[in-house]
Amino acid sequence: MTHPGTSFSPIPADAVAWLGTNPIPAAPYYDPAYFERERRAVFLTSWIHVGHACELPEPGAFVRRDLEFARASLLIVRGNDGIVRAFHNVCPHRGTQLVEAAAGRQSRFSCPYHMWTFGPEGDLLSAPDFGAFHLRKEDCGLKPVALQECAGLLFVNFDPQAQPLRDWLGDYAGRLEQMPVARATTFSEYTYEIAANWKLTYDNFQENYHLRFVHPRSGGAGVGGDNPFGYPVEIGFHGPHRTQRIWSNPDPALKPFQRAASFCGIPALAEQGLLTLPHGRDYLALFPNLFVIGTPTQPFSHTVYPLAADRSRGVVRVYWVGEDASASQRLAREYALAQLRDIHSEDVGIIERGQAGLASGALSHIHFQSMEALCRHLFLEVDRRVQAGAAGPEQRG
Amino acid sequence: MSGETALPPGFAALEPFVAGWALPTTAARAARRGEATSDEREQFFAAASPLVASALAHLDARPLHALDPAEQRLLNLLLALAHVGLAVEMQGPAEARHALGRARMQITRAVADAEPGA
Repeated sequence: MTHPGTSFSPIPADAVAWLGTNPIPAAPYYDPAYFERERRAVFLTSWIHVGHACELPEPGAFVRRDLEFARASLLIVRGNDGIVRAFHNVCPHRGTQLVEAAAGRQSRFSCPYHMWTFGPEGDLLSAPDFGAFHLRKEDCGLKPVALQECAGLLFVNFDPQAQPLRDWLGDYAGRLEQMPVARATTFSEYTYEIAANWKLTYDNFQENYHLRFVHPRSGGAGVGGDNPFGYPVEIGFHGPHRTQRIWSNPDPALKPFQRAASFCGIPALAEQGLLTLPHGRDYLALFPNLFVIGTPTQPFSHTVYPLAADRSRGVVRVYWVGEDASASQRLAREYALAQLRDIHSEDVGIIERGQAGLASGALSHIHFQSMEALCRHLFLEVDRRVQAGAAGPEQRG
Repeated sequence: MSGETALPPGFAALEPFVAGWALPTTAARAARRGEATSDEREQFFAAASPLVASALAHLDARPLHALDPAEQRLLNLLLALAHVGLAVEMQGPAEARHALGRARMQITRAVADAEPGA
């Protein structure tokens, strides 16, 4: 690897030759039929990130998460036993959605229709005139969805046969646990809706080729010198997941206020031991739709949820350890959020232009160069599942 | 100097900016950046950015939850500067166009909106 501060050594194209160099079919990026196959073969069978344990600090704390790809609304709640569980936000009586609030804390969850009432572990506590149903209460609990946690990050899986989350994440589980997100107690968040396929959206954030063109002002520190495209110093692959180590510009062009507003957060990070973690220049691209970045001054996750073949929703969270303790810490965190949002806001329009172009059907194929290898890897991992799903005897969902 | 716009001693030069920029939430500060004219942004940045170090030195002398109203206003000005600094230092003439994309990114939660812990 290149040591920060020394010159950049490009990753040789040979390193990603095993992924092939062929053009990639364009239809999977806009075709509704492909999207439907993908929804079943990828999203209903993978561990999908839905939140963080710090959102649910105490028993009864809950969040409602609507996952369009599963046509599901989930109630994710910490039980009195301290365990976080996910349930379909659906009353087992006649299907009424139980919770309308996006988040809160309750000791009981009552369906507004007929007052069936559930505890935070999902069990039916009471239901008016229940004797008239000829049912047993223990058979009428909320319908669970598998939920597991790694590094504070909560994932759900709609496949009852899913392998455990840690097996799914493999070696990357240990890396996640060494990132700031694993110690996070709070976060800031922004979200966006985009008229683009989830893969086209996600791909934008796993290649650096576009940085100098799309982010000429906001991304100035990430490109330059002997690395004009800001290419990564390392990339890696692990099962369906992948990683990049971001290049450290030895001579970043920082503006005076940018320097002041960024550096004033450094002492608190140092005190918290967050500057010496091993993955401070790494991001993990966790299949299918999550990024987690270890940069201590801007530790964020970015999830791209599919809504339709040509529509997605992005959720970006900047995770922090502890509430703001000083004015300097608060300023640095505000600046980190605003700066990241500035960069991401420059991507949305260009991604949508890509979608508009692809949707015309003008292209049968698109092209990825060797430093777009992560995009190629995502497509190959998705397509393998879609093709295997098509060959299977039966689909669920 | 009125009670509503008073700032700690040494920062009176920023009092004309309190009404427009000392806003209580991250989303409000981000929105104000987009709604302001470039003159308003540049005047605020020119007046406030030289005072960042001294303002932080003043405010860091006590925990966040112990700030008095004048200090809280000064902090809110600094936090607004985080947004305005991006417009003035980074985007420059591209700021008006940049605001279009930014409007798509909805701030739904911010640590600075939390009440400081005791």
